[in-house]
Amino acid sequence: MILVPITYKGGVYRHDEILDLIEDMGGYIIQKHMIAQEVVLQALIPKDDIETLRQISRPLTGEVIFAPLVGTEIAIVSMSLEIHHLPHASCDVAEYLRAAGAKTNMVGLARGFGKRIGLLSDEERDVINEHDLAIYLFGNFETCIKQKMPTFRRGVHTPIIVTGGPSTDALRRIIDPPVAGYVGGLGRFMHRTKEAPELAKLDDILNEVSRVLDSRRAEIAKDPLSISPARLMDVILEKLPDIHDVTSPVPVVVQMDGVRVKLPYDPFAMQLKDIEVDSGVPISSVGDIRPSRMRDYILVKIKPFSETSLMV
Amino acid sequence: MKTLEYFEVVSTEPAGGELYRRIASTVITDHDLLRVLSRLRIYIDPEIPIFVAAGHTRSVPRNVIVRDFAGITYDGDKVVLSIADETYLAPLLQLLWERFGKDRILQPDRFTIEMHLEGHESEGLEEMVVADPTEGLFKDLIYTMQVICPEGFKVKKQSFQDGKFWFVASENTLPEDVMPLVDEQFSIMGVSV
Repeated sequence: MILVPITYKGGVYRHDEILDLIEDMGGYIIQKHMIAQEVVLQALIPKDDIETLRQISRPLTGEVIFAPLVGTEIAIVSMSLEIHHLPHASCDVAEYLRAAGAKTNMVGLARGFGKRIGLLSDEERDVINEHDLAIYLFGNFETCIKQKMPTFRRGVHTPIIVTGGPSTDALRRIIDPPVAGYVGGLGRFMHRTKEAPELAKLDDILNEVSRVLDSRRAEIAKDPLSISPARLMDVILEKLPDIHDVTSPVPVVVQMDGVRVKLPYDPFAMQLKDIEVDSGVPISSVGDIRPSRMRDYILVKIKPFSETSLMV
Repeated sequence: MKTLEYFEVVSTEPAGGELYRRIASTVITDHDLLRVLSRLRIYIDPEIPIFVAAGHTRSVPRNVIVRDFAGITYDGDKVVLSIADETYLAPLLQLLWERFGKDRILQPDRFTIEMHLEGHESEGLEEMVVADPTEGLFKDLIYTMQVICPEGFKVKKQSFQDGKFWFVASENTLPEDVMPLVDEQFSIMGVSV
């Protein structure tokens, strides 16, 4: 069964029927937002059932849109949290990717500014590495990007997409060894992105992110995961009651190869390890459970089939 | 930015310079300095690295004195100030308290100040400087330049005198005398130093 990522937008009225339908289809609801009278669902549903969902939601004026980034967690790395970089461009990029279904986290570096003095701490590096992808938002000068890039990629094994003021070709030329993706012409700016060429740049980022994540998915497919992250999320939501006391809008974040559980590690890790995903198969046998560097959360990275010889 | 007589942002990397021109124009508009600035030239060399901004303000407002916003009447040793504009009332009261003591200053209503002063004490009261508007202007200007300037340029020097200002910043230590850098920008702008 191939699951495809979608966003459902519709009214509150009878939306519970849509929730039931997605579950009955064997799909997973990754995020649910209730905004006034509107419901926005980020979900993974079987490819063959998209049309059924469209038909059933039509009388409810629901809209089903393909959202390529549902089920991914992306780090938007801003060189600092000063007015120079916020809210534009960092928030603009984060917001745009969120609209495409991604769970984005803003990583504001403590000392990321400057070409010579820019630094990446071990905590920042580890936090970035916990994501499926990192987008580095650099400034407008080639010289600076060229000089600071080695510092900012040291120890980072997550795919990196670099954005900056110079053209895409210039970025490709100055960054050696190459990174996963480049989007030029989007460096530091101090105004809101609302003009057509600027929105086109955000679309370029979206396309580049989709391309990089698709290649990552293809890589994962060569040695599939022992359990789908969305299913693991479902199991945790079902069998770990304390997760429902978490006030965060997304208590279990689905990543491409794992989940982030927003419960403190020490009191809950043992409990989480023993949860059975299938009869006789605890989570600990299909995934590595470790403390996250982000707050006190738990990070579960799912092991591939070649390691566990299990497919749940 | 048509309202500036002269506005140039130049960089050794022309593409970057063009992007910084947009940043500068947005920041100046956001900080509402269009009416204040008349000429501005920014030079950025990311190789060194150095950021130099030099410019002129339109007309520097003069110091605000008591007579600008208050009428003074003398009745023997009694001096009455009738306040026309409340904007400068708070700094004026501070100054009077410091000079004559709180117990000698009465404020029967919002717009009246009564004082009992000896003959020589009331001399020059009308000309007393209450506020210097350029102080706020200077702070606004320098803050604007800091926002335009790349964030890593943490070492800064600045000056504002007679409507002429400059701001120099770098990531490394600045030369002790930055004036040759500043003078160069002023002379390109066509302003005698």
